[in-house]
Amino acid sequence: MSTDYYLPEDSAPLPPVHAEVMTTACDYCVVACGYKVYRWPVGSGDGGLQASQNAFGVDFPSSALQSWVAPAQHNIVMHKQMPHNVVIVPDKDTKYVNTNGDSSMRGGLIAQKCYNPKTPTRDRLTTPLMRIFGTLQPVSWEMALDVAAQVGRHVIENHGANAYGVKTFSYQYIENTYAVTKYALRHVNTANFTFHDTPSDVTSTPGFRDAGFDNFGPSYEDWGSADTLMICGTDPYETKTIIFTQHIMPAIYRGMKVIMLNPRETAGVAFVKKMGGLHIDLLPGTDNLVVGAITRHILEQGWEDTEWLKKWVNNKWESNSGFGQGTRNTPWQWRSTWGKFQTKGWEDYKKWVSSQPEFEAEYAAGVAGIDVAKIYQAAEWMAKPKADGGRVKTSIGIEKGFYWSNNTANTNAISSLATICGTGGRPGQVVGRFGGHQRGGQSGGSYPRNKSPEKVEGRRRRSLDTDRWTYSGHTRFAHVIGTTWIQSMCGSQGLQRKFTELVSNNPNQIMSYDRQEIIDSLKARADSGGMVVINQDIYLRDPIGARFADIVFPAATWGEEDFMRANGERRLRLYQKFYDAPGNAKPDWWIISQLAKQMGYDGFDWKNSNDVAEEASRFSRGSRKAFHMIKIAAHAEGKTLHEKLREFGTDGIQGPVFYNYETKELVGTKRLHDTELEHDKAAIKRLGLDNGPQGANIVSKKFSHFNSQTGKINIQKHPWGLFSDFWEWLSPKDDELWFNNGRINEIWQSGFDDVERRPYTRQRWPENWVEIHPDDAAKRGIESGDQVMMYSDRVVQVKDTVLGVDSGHFQFSELMKRGHIDLQKAAVTAIAIVTPAVKKGVLYANMIDMRQPSNALGARIVDNISGNYNFKMGVSKIKKLGASKYKSEFRSMSFAPRNIV
Amino acid sequence: MSIFSKLKDQTKDKDSAEEHGKCMLSRRNFLMYGSASLAAASTVTVTLFPGTAQAEQMKARVVGYPRKLVAKLSEMKDHQPIAFNYPDDGPNSQAMIVKMAGVQAGGGVGAARDIVAFNYLCTHQGGPLVGSYKATGEHRTLGQCPLHLSTFDLRRHGIIVSGQAYQSLPQVLLEVDGDEVYAVGMMGLIFGRNSNMSS
Repeated sequence: MSTDYYLPEDSAPLPPVHAEVMTTACDYCVVACGYKVYRWPVGSGDGGLQASQNAFGVDFPSSALQSWVAPAQHNIVMHKQMPHNVVIVPDKDTKYVNTNGDSSMRGGLIAQKCYNPKTPTRDRLTTPLMRIFGTLQPVSWEMALDVAAQVGRHVIENHGANAYGVKTFSYQYIENTYAVTKYALRHVNTANFTFHDTPSDVTSTPGFRDAGFDNFGPSYEDWGSADTLMICGTDPYETKTIIFTQHIMPAIYRGMKVIMLNPRETAGVAFVKKMGGLHIDLLPGTDNLVVGAITRHILEQGWEDTEWLKKWVNNKWESNSGFGQGTRNTPWQWRSTWGKFQTKGWEDYKKWVSSQPEFEAEYAAGVAGIDVAKIYQAAEWMAKPKADGGRVKTSIGIEKGFYWSNNTANTNAISSLATICGTGGRPGQVVGRFGGHQRGGQSGGSYPRNKSPEKVEGRRRRSLDTDRWTYSGHTRFAHVIGTTWIQSMCGSQGLQRKFTELVSNNPNQIMSYDRQEIIDSLKARADSGGMVVINQDIYLRDPIGARFADIVFPAATWGEEDFMRANGERRLRLYQKFYDAPGNAKPDWWIISQLAKQMGYDGFDWKNSNDVAEEASRFSRGSRKAFHMIKIAAHAEGKTLHEKLREFGTDGIQGPVFYNYETKELVGTKRLHDTELEHDKAAIKRLGLDNGPQGANIVSKKFSHFNSQTGKINIQKHPWGLFSDFWEWLSPKDDELWFNNGRINEIWQSGFDDVERRPYTRQRWPENWVEIHPDDAAKRGIESGDQVMMYSDRVVQVKDTVLGVDSGHFQFSELMKRGHIDLQKAAVTAIAIVTPAVKKGVLYANMIDMRQPSNALGARIVDNISGNYNFKMGVSKIKKLGASKYKSEFRSMSFAPRNIV
Repeated sequence: MSIFSKLKDQTKDKDSAEEHGKCMLSRRNFLMYGSASLAAASTVTVTLFPGTAQAEQMKARVVGYPRKLVAKLSEMKDHQPIAFNYPDDGPNSQAMIVKMAGVQAGGGVGAARDIVAFNYLCTHQGGPLVGSYKATGEHRTLGQCPLHLSTFDLRRHGIIVSGQAYQSLPQVLLEVDGDEVYAVGMMGLIFGRNSNMSS
């Protein structure tokens, strides 16, 4: 682990002409900038200052925007067991994403990610470990896998497949997620399965899905081609850095108007305001009201895009229609709880939104704590026809601040607003998520929903809430892959107490070196109502690995294996292996394949990651990142899938990928829902689709239409009442403040290994922190640099797995009334940053400091329709504990506000 | 006795002098680090606490970096950065020195330790930070960089406040001799160079 002791260096080697060059992309955020890796043996000579003497072909000192190597961009790694220099820098030659070699701080420092025992990466897991006599001790792969498989099998046979819980990353490369899901869903066939960021396997944006919008339909360049861009629940400068600097920022200079919904003013928001944009500084959880009020004002003024609505929105009959079993068998209808969301078309929606008192502008503005003029202003920018009668082009992007604060209704509301504005499916008029982590999921099995014991009212079963299932003691074997589970879920201190009870405090612990006795004691733990934990990761995480895991499998990762992944515009790249994985660390697909074989499952005989990718490809067909045709082209050329993708370098290719059998060309898809593509005959011809899809090509509905039963958009209602009882109950009482949390540019989708192991990042953010408005701080005697405690005795927690029988059983007030909810306490400490950049009455804290996760203060209660946590919703009191050292020393942290422009 | 422990012995004011000492520790490490890779060494006089009871003259090895007169205390005005080149007049050596109106800073010199100097190029992609000095309340920053909006905290050794750069702004190490302020070294690599002393 790193300390915050950072000493800047004043030199860095230049890669020599003889350096080998490989391409990859950044491991962290969804944007996935392209990088080049320059590798040359230690002692073989570094590059010189003249262009002819270095691999960049640039004279040094170089000028602005030219190649350069910062000291932190150099590292020494083992390649084929020989020490090699690597310089890892943004690719100056890439045609997409980070053109000009732009990069964030996270990517800029990524050379430091490589394992090097001389750096803070020295604690990488390098060998399987087993907790014997309370201490994690090295064991062989054979022993670790055998014990895990024998206990796992025992649990499935004696307690059922749902006792085998799998909690896994959803993104860490296509090969790994395919292997994990094939194992967990197809073979173990457990409903006790979910991904790192949600307690149950559900969609992140139910409103998008039900409207028919793909989360990642737009291309990055689309974000800069609107007249008005609305951004909800994020500052892309902080968390989609390069989309902002390469696409949104230049567009703002060209005159694009930007509207941002965010309780906090960060650098991007400040820049937008400086350039004349609109900041809607609403209170947490009130987006639905504000968006609804904007929509209503647009309709009242008659500014809607009537042509679009007539052509592309489902009417009453279409809304009820469907092929085969029809709409009644779609998640949309099942979740719709019989008319709560469904409309008979846009005029019906108009009637509804105009009759709901909560969407009156004055009311919405009052609850949201904003100036009502901002609602009218936003409506005007988004929809008021131009003087010549032409329509403004409006695009809408959302992210977690928005959809993790009233998951279903917010995403419904924004889908409807988009549709009213004619947004979605045309250049300059797109709607989507900006994204979080990269898109590396490829399912190798389908979720066995019918095995889930959780059921909402009506007939439909819902994906199992694995947190509550575990909390109730039903998970006997927890298989945790690349996630902390505990910190990353809401009400995490309650979950941690439960883990302690089920794992550490169970009397059946390994107190023997004898294999059979080890297996017997773990089986006895499971049989006695306790829980066995196995954990795959690159570092030993505390507490899941360090305190709870009985067996730890060391994983190999970025740069240590050839992997495929897509980014937030569906751009697929090969992330090349360029150095040896440390010790005995193995990629997750390999670990899973070995475990699966021990469990007696067939179909896991892969020799390398390309084998996995080639098997996975056919399951990608029809999906947004369909890459099957790359394999078809590769095989036609006598190559492997990975070899073919490597040829695309950092440019990659956007899914769904088509293969033109005539020209032998692979052609990517610029945007989904591309309703105007049919008019572009040349593009259709290039795709090889002029006579329909040929050979193995598949055209899915979302390619040129929307993802609903008819290919048109479902316009939906978004009742505040589903959420308002919770919002009102939660609203700050007495001395409480809203507790909001999120991430920052310096630590965004990189916290899993970056923040703790980059001295510079550690120096900038050495401890947990919280932003507080100067008025709130003054009242409590808090100054910047003070150590404070945030605490609450109103952390709500659903106690058990709930069966809904009557309508409304999943509604918060109903759960409360029926005794399904506990009130728990939680507290975390942090360093205070007093800044007017956060809204008065709102605290904004770091989302996950591993030592003290803010999620502990989040309500452990899921959206009653979708099953997602609303991570951003909490309340807290705050008090000063004393002055921290950062108040009086200058070496680390900074209390300067982020909105200085 | 090391320079650092000597310093500690002789400093009384916890909030300021110990802080100053920490900066000097960094600086000393920095100077020693430099000696490993550069052959030419020179010896200069370093004045750590000019004009105070703790003032002490000592010999320190400053390796490779020139000692250059960059400003006069009597001529410096609050919030008015003065441009100079350091460590040479080659490409990318543009730097600034500024007196920050009594707000103390890490590595600051002068009676109020409010005088600091930094290279003027953003460490992200070399954007010019000229003209971006700002005083906001008690905060002192350079930025936003016109290229990608990075901002740096001048009170805290040029650390990134918000933005894309992956190292602090290179800080020019200063010493004061009477009325004269000298640049004597640098912490951090200047954008575009592979070594601060090669241009």
